[in-house]
Amino acid sequence: MVKFLKPNKAVILLQGRYAGRKAVIIKSFDDGTRERPYGHCLVAGIKKYPSKVIRKDSSKKTAKKSRVKAFIKLVNYQHLMPTRYTLDVDLKDIVAADSLQTKDKKVTAAKETKKRFEERFKTGKNRWFFTKLRVYSYNHVVFAIDWCLEIGIEDLDFT
Amino acid sequence: MVATKKTKKTHESINNRLALVMKSGKFTLGYKTVLRSLRNSKGKLIIISNNCPPLRKSEIEYYAMLAKIGVHHYNGNNVDLGTACGKYFRVSCLSIVDPGDSDIIKTLPGDH
Repeated sequence: MVKFLKPNKAVILLQGRYAGRKAVIIKSFDDGTRERPYGHCLVAGIKKYPSKVIRKDSSKKTAKKSRVKAFIKLVNYQHLMPTRYTLDVDLKDIVAADSLQTKDKKVTAAKETKKRFEERFKTGKNRWFFTKLRVYSYNHVVFAIDWCLEIGIEDLDFT
Repeated sequence: MVATKKTKKTHESINNRLALVMKSGKFTLGYKTVLRSLRNSKGKLIIISNNCPPLRKSEIEYYAMLAKIGVHHYNGNNVDLGTACGKYFRVSCLSIVDPGDSDIIKTLPGDH
């Protein structure tokens, strides 16, 4: 009986343009608002994951490969898959409920989030968050492989 | 290692307890509402039938692990679970929100 859809929780988006992307909950609205009368939350996620950086990359290449593109979105709880991971990045001051109202506020918030994400990626912590979720399609059904490994199914009967 | 076989007696007592919950408590039936009750932590116990698809079963167990809510694997399929709930339809998973007069919450979750 523990609430787990709390700020700093890492989640995976299940629907929409950003399906399959990992995100972190910034603010949750459990009882909804007047415009959205359902449980939803404000998430900041990764639009474009950083590429794999290897040791023999030059510093210019490393800088280019570690770039992250971020997005901010209000998502219904039904379109999220919560995970057991958390991401401790302080995004409350840059992303607020009103950041999504105008385009330029959204862009500045996304740019700041991108910066914070890139800093966190460079420290090498929260590696799970910055790796792409491996997804493949089998008979028109899409399964998330490392999602299944995460929840402990090794052998699925695809019916 | 001897496999623990659920005796007929405990199975009947689960059915009795479930019937009491249906009469006096609050519950929701079905996958969507089970997830909803897990998300807002209103559920106290989740019961899953044995023929629930394994991906769905694991998903419910994962949510329940995050929410620290007990999960009971019912010894019967969705037809049996529906009958145990007194319904004329199949029930694959259900969530007990308020057990009413029943002690099902105290006696069941030794089982995960």
